[in-house]
Amino acid sequence: MNYVDPKLQARRTQVVEVLEMVCESLELSNSQFEQAKQRYEGVGACLAGSDNPVLRAITIYLQGSTALRTTVKPIGVNEHDVDLVAHVPDLDVEISPAALKKAIGDCLRANGNYASLLEEMPRCWRLSYANEFHMDITPSIPNPNCQFGGELVPDKKLKMWKASNPKGYKQQFERRAKLEPRIRLRKHIVVDSARASVEPYPEAGGFKGILRRTVQIAKRHRDILFIDEPDVAPLSVIITTLASRAYEWCITNHEYDNELELVFDVVGHMPDMIESRHVEGRMQWFIWNETTAGENFAEKWNRRPERAEAFYAWHRQFRADLAQLEAVSGLDRLGDVLKGLFGSRPATAAINTLTERVSSARKAGNLRVAPSIGLSVGAVPASTSVRANTFFGSNR
Amino acid sequence: MRVAGRKSLTAAQQFVNLRGNPISRGAGELHPGRLTWRYSATPFPLGRDYDIRIEFKQGNRPRIFVDGPDLPTLAGGRRIPHLYQQRPPRLCLYLPRTYEWQSWMRLDQTIVPWTALWLFYFEEWLASNDWKGGGMHPESDDDEEAA
Repeated sequence: MNYVDPKLQARRTQVVEVLEMVCESLELSNSQFEQAKQRYEGVGACLAGSDNPVLRAITIYLQGSTALRTTVKPIGVNEHDVDLVAHVPDLDVEISPAALKKAIGDCLRANGNYASLLEEMPRCWRLSYANEFHMDITPSIPNPNCQFGGELVPDKKLKMWKASNPKGYKQQFERRAKLEPRIRLRKHIVVDSARASVEPYPEAGGFKGILRRTVQIAKRHRDILFIDEPDVAPLSVIITTLASRAYEWCITNHEYDNELELVFDVVGHMPDMIESRHVEGRMQWFIWNETTAGENFAEKWNRRPERAEAFYAWHRQFRADLAQLEAVSGLDRLGDVLKGLFGSRPATAAINTLTERVSSARKAGNLRVAPSIGLSVGAVPASTSVRANTFFGSNR
Repeated sequence: MRVAGRKSLTAAQQFVNLRGNPISRGAGELHPGRLTWRYSATPFPLGRDYDIRIEFKQGNRPRIFVDGPDLPTLAGGRRIPHLYQQRPPRLCLYLPRTYEWQSWMRLDQTIVPWTALWLFYFEEWLASNDWKGGGMHPESDDDEEAA
């Protein structure tokens, strides 16, 4: 039998629950997601109904964090970013990125519903729904040279098409997110040989998906750390790619006592997934898109090495901050540490959720106290129920 | 003494129950008609560990103190709610002269869980300055009154 310190186990389970609460406060809710879907389906119908024959077969689908379900609300704005691809499947590279983009823009501008929401961005069109979303619509065409069924999207200057594969990337990510880790959490553990042996702290839900949650907390931590210099902040696609590869590597090679240990290990292995080598005396970095040929997510690092430095600095800080979270002592201190990591709004949301959970269990009569771990909701062996009471006081 | 037909527990019985319950694992002294019990309590898995002392004399209400860490220091000069006194901090866990605690009730099944609950709301109060555990604050109290 593995001996696992029940207090440590309970602490880690609690950290996982708190991170879950943080993520829930930052991501698109299910109803927001449904609303986004309705909105972009409307956009798709509008484009497909256009008089322009170029757009007739167009399809609209999600890409990026909304497609992966790893959204994190941007800091300081009320709108979530929802990234869309407007894909024209029956074209070849004869149409220029600028011409396809213009066709889409013309169609949206001619529609009364969209004209006032429309903003032009360098590579895409943005529909801004105040207090809801920024919907970025990027044109795309098939990539006849991609063996994975990839697409071509405009480059930054809208001059050339460049390889990408949002659908393939999403499939790859989802395949990894579905991989089940081996967690020894439920194993029977000994508290004290002379006394009762108890199961670990009950896993109230646990992570909805460790990979997605790891990506979300990493991105949010990045947003907070680079709040004053966002242009060197590690890209979301880099964080997502490294985390998903590290996740697959970790769960293939190891088993874990609990989910937090897995999160720490995934984060720890993220840099191992970066390929680096000296080219003509200079360090070059490669994070290849595995779903299309020739897309290096770290391309900018090779022109601006300070971006690579920023990534490694963020990574060191993220690991140190996560360790701090596990060592915290006191609900008030937990709130402070969460604030530092993720900002005050999600920190307060998590503490309030935790407090509300205790208060409603108390009201419902299913709050208990367990040895060495304190209050606990629901049945835990060797625990004692918390009867109704009214705190009293003195003004002396 | 008889309350509502149930027999009061003696200090010795309370002592045995405190010693036997894993949530109040600790040490104490039993004297004729009274006891002192010390144990470590934490409100939740990421909470602090607090040194709790229960003083109980048969026929009186139990008195619960937090010996460490120093609560007024943690509070940073603010007046801590739901205490009979600020230093040493003595907890007000239930409404006196009601049926929430009576002398036939086991301390390890009432006072000890309520202490964990008090500590939870205390730590939350440290951050929010808002006591979320409910309760009453009377103008004056009679804490020495017999139960």
